Amino acid sequence: MSILQVDNVRKTFGQKKVLQDLSFTVQEGNIFGFVGENGAGKTTTMKLILGLDQMNQGSISILGEKVTFGATRTNRYTGYLPDVPQFYDYMTAREYLILCGEITGLPKDERIKRVDEMLGLVHLFGVKTRIGGYSRGMKQRLGIAQALLNKPKLLICDEPTSALDPNGRKEFLDLLYSLRSETTIIFSTHILNDVEQICDHVGILNEGKMVVCSSIPELKKQYGQQQVKIVFEQAHDKALFLERLEKSSLTNPYTIDPTGLATVISFKATQREQYKNDAQQLLKLVQQHNILPLAFEQQEASLEDIFLEVIR
Amino acid sequence: MKNISFFCKKELLEYWRTKKLLVLWIAFAAFGIMSPLFAKLMPQILKASFGEALPIALPTPTSIDAWTQFYKNISQIGIYLLIIMFSGIVNREITKGTLTNLVTKGLNRAVVVISKYLLMLMVWSLIIATSFGITLGYTVYYFPDQLSPHFFAGFLLLWLFGLFICSVVVLSSTLFRSIYSSLFGTIGVMILLYVLNLWEKTGQWNPISLMSVNVAVVQGQAVWSDYVPALAMSGLIAVLLLLLAVSVLKRKKL
Repeated sequence: MSILQVDNVRKTFGQKKVLQDLSFTVQEGNIFGFVGENGAGKTTTMKLILGLDQMNQGSISILGEKVTFGATRTNRYTGYLPDVPQFYDYMTAREYLILCGEITGLPKDERIKRVDEMLGLVHLFGVKTRIGGYSRGMKQRLGIAQALLNKPKLLICDEPTSALDPNGRKEFLDLLYSLRSETTIIFSTHILNDVEQICDHVGILNEGKMVVCSSIPELKKQYGQQQVKIVFEQAHDKALFLERLEKSSLTNPYTIDPTGLATVISFKATQREQYKNDAQQLLKLVQQHNILPLAFEQQEASLEDIFLEVIR
Repeated sequence: MKNISFFCKKELLEYWRTKKLLVLWIAFAAFGIMSPLFAKLMPQILKASFGEALPIALPTPTSIDAWTQFYKNISQIGIYLLIIMFSGIVNREITKGTLTNLVTKGLNRAVVVISKYLLMLMVWSLIIATSFGITLGYTVYYFPDQLSPHFFAGFLLLWLFGLFICSVVVLSSTLFRSIYSSLFGTIGVMILLYVLNLWEKTGQWNPISLMSVNVAVVQGQAVWSDYVPALAMSGLIAVLLLLLAVSVLKRKKL
């Protein structure tokens, strides 16, 4: 069952077209990675889903209910974590969460219990200082606590990891992943590694259009190129190999990414046999010229490779 | 309804912890102490300044002088202090982004406007009542005369003007993104009302008269009931401005 349905949404800021006929669906239980370069329209899409901004055309529905700008009733299903969550500096985390609980209509007993649970979850239980004195990471953790407080059916996170240190990022991703059985998550980012770690579905937004939207294995099958990585011992070997490669006759068109002493050769091989054939040719080339590589390995295309391929 | 009380509680906490309430309270209490004291000491101050060179004989100060001083302080300083303190009441939350979390939790935007107006009204009532109470106490103590029989009617008109100006501040702060723009917006409305007051015919309908006829009402030279049209107009405009503020906020991007 789909929890979120976005249909032909168009949004312009003056003359600038930010979203153009954007359509996609998120199924219940998914962790949906919403990927795009800075300025691709990710935050705008999220704000439209939350009814915080007005679209020029199209419709959005959450659990079958239409999202309306200004005072949408669908917000009772959602939790939102903005990229830079803002709080009332003069409050403590507990006071803030209690206010959020009051607004969402949680009964008093449940509210107190839930606030304690959330403070524990984000390691802010014993913190008595006011939010004004919090670090960026602490604010982000409080942000996730407020977003989860009302047990939302749909959790929307807008670039939540972009300003966190590696430890904070890992902790945050682990936390999101642990929530997958409880809530559907839309997670926007331009850090593709994060998406690869926790998401099962991905949508790639480019210049306001959804260019790809599918599960990660399907995406890899469709767009992922077969890759062979060869690491040479010496620069001379590498130069010789590349020279010979130009004259060889690989059956598939290929691209080369030479970085340092490593060379990644990617080719579009739809059949396993085609890949095997070309990989063997590369291996022969190495042997024929008496080059002893340090490594010769098959590589799976990363989401980053796919992203670059898709938006090209 | 419940959300209005939750949000008002949050607003009150803000004005308490950020010390804005305290600043206003102290300032208005100071007006209360200063007004009768200044009236009492004025002859001595003038005598000390000019000595025997003072060309006129100074009349003995009365309770009217104390109330004149009080309404002058409030209408020339106090009301602007209130406007300055509350100019960012809505737009600060919009520009900072603090409303976003709460709105996405289902907080109705009308609740934001109504709660902020009620909080402002509460603060205004508290500070003006404090100032009035102190002025009354000292005036009775310093000037035990019967020249200001309708002191409460005069105060009531001023308090009701506060109800009106609070709605102007809330609307202006919702309309404009910057605190300075909303401040100038409210002051612009004040100037407009003063200009309109130049026409005698509009006087009884003009909300600003609720803040300018007080001394006459206190003395009994004017009757408060003559200003019922201004009261009705103030109430009506305040309701319309609040409805407009709700409508504007509902259309604001957060």
